[in-house]
Amino acid sequence: MKLDTSGFETSMPTIGFGSSNDMLDGFSTVPSFDLPRTTDFDGFQKEAVQMVKPARGTTTLAFIFKEGVMVAADSRASMGGYISSQSVKKIIEINPYMLGTMAGGAADCQFWHRNLGIKCRLHELANKRRISVSGASKLLANMLYSYRGMGLSVGTMIAGWDETGPGLYYVDNEGGRLKGDRFSVGSGSPYAYGVLDSGYKFDMSVEEASELARRSIYHATFRDGASGGVASVYHVGPNGWKKLSGDDVGELHYHYYPVPPAIAEQVMEEAAAE
Amino acid sequence: MSIFEYNGSAVVAMVGKNCFAIASDRRLGVQLQTIATDFQRISKIHDRVFIALSGLATDVQTLYQRLVFRHKLYQLREERDMKPETFASLVSAILYEKRFGPYLCQPVIAGLGEDEKPFICTMDSIGAKELAKDFVVSGTASESLYGACEAMYKPDMEAEELFETISQALLSSVDRDCLSGWGGHVYVVTPTEIKERILKGRMD
Repeated sequence: MKLDTSGFETSMPTIGFGSSNDMLDGFSTVPSFDLPRTTDFDGFQKEAVQMVKPARGTTTLAFIFKEGVMVAADSRASMGGYISSQSVKKIIEINPYMLGTMAGGAADCQFWHRNLGIKCRLHELANKRRISVSGASKLLANMLYSYRGMGLSVGTMIAGWDETGPGLYYVDNEGGRLKGDRFSVGSGSPYAYGVLDSGYKFDMSVEEASELARRSIYHATFRDGASGGVASVYHVGPNGWKKLSGDDVGELHYHYYPVPPAIAEQVMEEAAAE
Repeated sequence: MSIFEYNGSAVVAMVGKNCFAIASDRRLGVQLQTIATDFQRISKIHDRVFIALSGLATDVQTLYQRLVFRHKLYQLREERDMKPETFASLVSAILYEKRFGPYLCQPVIAGLGEDEKPFICTMDSIGAKELAKDFVVSGTASESLYGACEAMYKPDMEAEELFETISQALLSSVDRDCLSGWGGHVYVVTPTEIKERILKGRMD
């Protein structure tokens, strides 16, 4: 490719101009641009910039222990790199003894959880007894399966207490439904799993479990850019759910890792007197 | 997310009365994951010229090393420090040399020139200089920074007030950006001293 470099030619060769190798610092004879050695000149930079689309920006977790189910989540909503809100309610109260968590599209999660709440109430009225956690999660999973492939984004956990005791199910927009003891969903979930899995014991008190949940969310907000805001912790017991705490993670950081008071030293330098 | 948002950054410089302040965030990330919270983005070229680079972290480090090298050569030849305006032109030329395979970073340059007059400018990744009399911003949080600086800036602030203003502008802007923050780093430079301070910010 022959470019027109007539605009650069001068009578005296300038030091270092156009030379890619600063180290030589010699007199370059023909000023020119470095051109990348590639056959696809227009496309090569675009290829270098292809990035993977990030996963659902949030951190939610839930686990079953001796005293019931602990559910926790952060409160950040992000649109790409922009933080659109630091105060989103990601734990949705389906009814007084069942909770759902929100990960993925906010509108999708809010609508389908409310819809699930309606279906649960109708079941109660029709059958004169509360619906089980297993039944409720099945209703949601079947609904989402029928919309498979249409672009819904829902990664939710249904946590509750029914006749068989505590129940926890993971349901997603593909129609998948998993029963389990510990789940974490969202872009911050790997970090939350690390703390949750290493600190988990079935025989925990409510305080220990809530501290574990809070700590897991805090560590996820520290490492994950798309999680942050307030760490909310809920407990589901035999009498229904109860919100235990909602701590701002900015303050939690300095609570867990306080900054030692600094000695009053200041960097003072004389500016060059010229 | 574009390549400029791969590591995440926020940089701002402000002009005061015979002084300037330059501030950056401290996060180094790989897309959404935070790797480090003590990444150095602001570098001293000499006592009266500072450069802060936002954008891809590897280019930030390499470009800084190249600029230090060129300035040292200048000092040996001319037996004096570079003026901030001259340094800005040098950076612009070095960036344009790589026009068809650019350094993926956007510098913010701040310095004290003749008669203690503060000088600030910013550039895009291929060297287009943008001089300003009040403040310049760069990085993933640049839109929030523009808004915060516009609201908080007053001309002819003294060093202490300038420090407060730039710190508040930086912290409030990075709190609206997923990819920058995790602390702040501020230099306030007057003709007699350089004050470096670390800001305590939200770590989420």
